[in-house]
Amino acid sequence: MISLTDRAWSPYVAGVLIGLLQIPAFLLIDTALGASSSFVTVGGTVAGWIDPSILSIDYVAKHVTATAKNWWQVALVVGVAIGAFASAFLSGSLRRGVSPIWARALGTPSRGVRYAVAFVAGFLMLFGARLADGCTSGHGLSGVAQLGVGSTVAVAAMFAGGIATAMLLMRRI
Amino acid sequence: MSLFVAVPVGLAMGIVFGFLLEKGRVFEPGIIVGQMQMRTFIMLKMFLAAVASGAVVLAVINGLGIVKLQPKAALYAADVVGGLILGTGIALAGACPGTTLAQIGAGYRDAIFTLIGGLAGAVAFSCAEPWLKTTFLGQGQGKITFADLLGVPYWTGALALATVLVAVLVGLEWWRPWRSEIGRDADGDLGAPPSERPAGPRIVPAE
Repeated sequence: MISLTDRAWSPYVAGVLIGLLQIPAFLLIDTALGASSSFVTVGGTVAGWIDPSILSIDYVAKHVTATAKNWWQVALVVGVAIGAFASAFLSGSLRRGVSPIWARALGTPSRGVRYAVAFVAGFLMLFGARLADGCTSGHGLSGVAQLGVGSTVAVAAMFAGGIATAMLLMRRI
Repeated sequence: MSLFVAVPVGLAMGIVFGFLLEKGRVFEPGIIVGQMQMRTFIMLKMFLAAVASGAVVLAVINGLGIVKLQPKAALYAADVVGGLILGTGIALAGACPGTTLAQIGAGYRDAIFTLIGGLAGAVAFSCAEPWLKTTFLGQGQGKITFADLLGVPYWTGALALATVLVAVLVGLEWWRPWRSEIGRDADGDLGAPPSERPAGPRIVPAE
């Protein structure tokens, strides 16, 4: 049996349960699971405090408006952090610092280098996700399950970009 | 639905999502980079299992006419270029946009920088969006699905997809059992690849 204090569950069990989250998403919020638009909602809101003129961009205005869908997704990603903390706490596997794979993948144990790479990686991830109009969740989990043609193309490109970068630019872990 | 209901619902769903990502280990940089280097396949296993179960539940609730589908418009150029940039970011982050938050919750310090970079990337895209949509990247074909292309009802296509994915997963598990890919610390760290391990003491056969 699986227990809440286990360190790892079968990825099949965890995956099937994640797929079931589409039920409340579609039934209650009238949307599919997704994560990357929340970065525009939060980023746009914060940027608007500094320079209100950014709010005149339609794309930003559409994402920062106080609609159920916009802030549901922000709450969702905040919940992801809380849920991951709870799971790691219950199994005694909370992490500290950075994963041991980075020293090998980046060829240096430097924390500063890792932080700089992480910032650039986050930037590329969200710029790319917003350009493609979805990420691993919105295009991957939801778009492919809905048989979306564009989503399937986006997911194939995502894996192609990820594999090429990990194989050519990073050292083998 | 009002914001005051949507936010608690989102929080509750997110807690379940984050809990499952952590239990499935698909937030560990070792698992995500391991997938992109084709060394381990746990990310693909969880991803395909989630797509299959999502397809089955949507086949049911859409087939019964309870919900409308929400496919995204196909913008092929943007899907390809954006997908490639997103994939590059995923490999370097060892995370996806959603799993970045799971890494923060689990305690990884570098994920805070991934998050800040992500917010900056989302704002940068927003500033470029009015111009980008006038270029070839704004060209699209509307919301098309494989069910439309094949001329079958969505539920038929979705159940067919789920069946194929289950077969793929059975094959993947037979080829690479997930327990062998988790690593001693459940972080997908299986140690340096054999080719880069320092040569150990040679055992010289006795004469």
